[in-house]
Amino acid sequence: MNQHLTEDELILHYYGETDADTARVESHLESCAECQSAKEKLHNVMALVDSAAPVEAPIGFERIAWARLEPALDRNARSGWRTFFWFPQWALAGGVAALVLAAFVAGRFSGGGAVVTTPNATVVASVEPQRVLQTAVDDHLDRTQMMLVELANADVDGADVLAGEQARAGDLVAANRVILQSAMQSGDAQVIDILEDLERVLLEVANAPANATSNDLTDLQSRITREDLLFRLRVIASEMRQRNRIDREAGDRLPRKMPTS
Amino acid sequence: MDERDPSVVAKARSGDRDAFRALVEMHSRYIYSLAHRMTGNAQDAEDVVQEAWLKAHKQLSRFEARADFRTWMHRITVNCSIDMIRARRHREDAHDPSDLEQGPLSERGAEAQPTPERVAASVQISDRVNDALGLLTALERAAFTLRHVEGMSIEEVGAKLGMKTSATKHSIFRAVKKMRAALEPFAQS
Repeated sequence: MNQHLTEDELILHYYGETDADTARVESHLESCAECQSAKEKLHNVMALVDSAAPVEAPIGFERIAWARLEPALDRNARSGWRTFFWFPQWALAGGVAALVLAAFVAGRFSGGGAVVTTPNATVVASVEPQRVLQTAVDDHLDRTQMMLVELANADVDGADVLAGEQARAGDLVAANRVILQSAMQSGDAQVIDILEDLERVLLEVANAPANATSNDLTDLQSRITREDLLFRLRVIASEMRQRNRIDREAGDRLPRKMPTS
Repeated sequence: MDERDPSVVAKARSGDRDAFRALVEMHSRYIYSLAHRMTGNAQDAEDVVQEAWLKAHKQLSRFEARADFRTWMHRITVNCSIDMIRARRHREDAHDPSDLEQGPLSERGAEAQPTPERVAASVQISDRVNDALGLLTALERAAFTLRHVEGMSIEEVGAKLGMKTSATKHSIFRAVKKMRAALEPFAQS
């Protein structure tokens, strides 16, 4: 009771996030003039923040925004993910799809996931190559994201987590390289960038020494955070899912023509 | 075209460029203010507005007609702001709080025709608050804005920013402490 509340506790209380400590904090506030005063000062500052007028856009901004946006809308329709997946190389499908699927299927097998047989996958690839590719890439991003989440949140005392992820990381490296090659052909800088960063991290996990220490894991976690890998991966995976959904809803409008080269 | 007409959204969804333009012209000022609050500077706010409209255009077919369009745009803008803040996170080391007097203040000319009373009040309140916000790092600002203005829980803010809850808490604590240090003298008067 005599222990004054910390500033952090007052902030959490202001936001109603003291959770289990709420009763203790409020009880203390009732009996401590000093903390009550600190609370009031905090509330006054927050009230000041709330009373501030937002910064307004320059006069005529709405017209400037449109003038800037309109050409980008046209460019946007011809670029980004649609370009990535509509690029003629993707229409080749057979070879690349088989490679992606090989890595995809290998990953599935080693990860103990659902059983997918290569012959069936090949049949699917010959029927709807782009969609199968989208699904395979989407799955690759999801599985990579899942592994990074596990690593990022792993207890640093449990360095053996690296050893447990090596086989999975190896499979993901293989799939990553195939997709990276195709992304390079399509020239999608955003995808290339994230895939290259992912490969470095995946290789680090795949090649981790048998006696990896908690420092190794901490370094890896720092890199995942520093390079915003999870966030960037989520953005790309999310765009993928949206694109796939839109394409499914709109029917298969992907070009069927075979590449000329 | 009356932008308040719900059919404008429907027309925009069906690919009507004029209808989409009407939406852009109606909501861009609001979006700019929101983006500015999140990012803290005019250039980033303009970029966020552009990106938000591009995303909206791409996703318009998924907008539910019964939903409020501005609320939908608000969500897209917050997400685009977060994307930008995170993409530029690496620049934070170069952030110099001494820019405070040149940064936000240099953009004040953009404010719409304030009355003399508002100018006085702005100097006393809005400018002080915006200056104080300028002391925050991009992540602190994002975390603080999402918690304080958007009303997300700390856990939700963490999920949005890809941070652990403890790290999110500390970002918010640092933000509030900086705001408090900068604004307490004015809050008391």
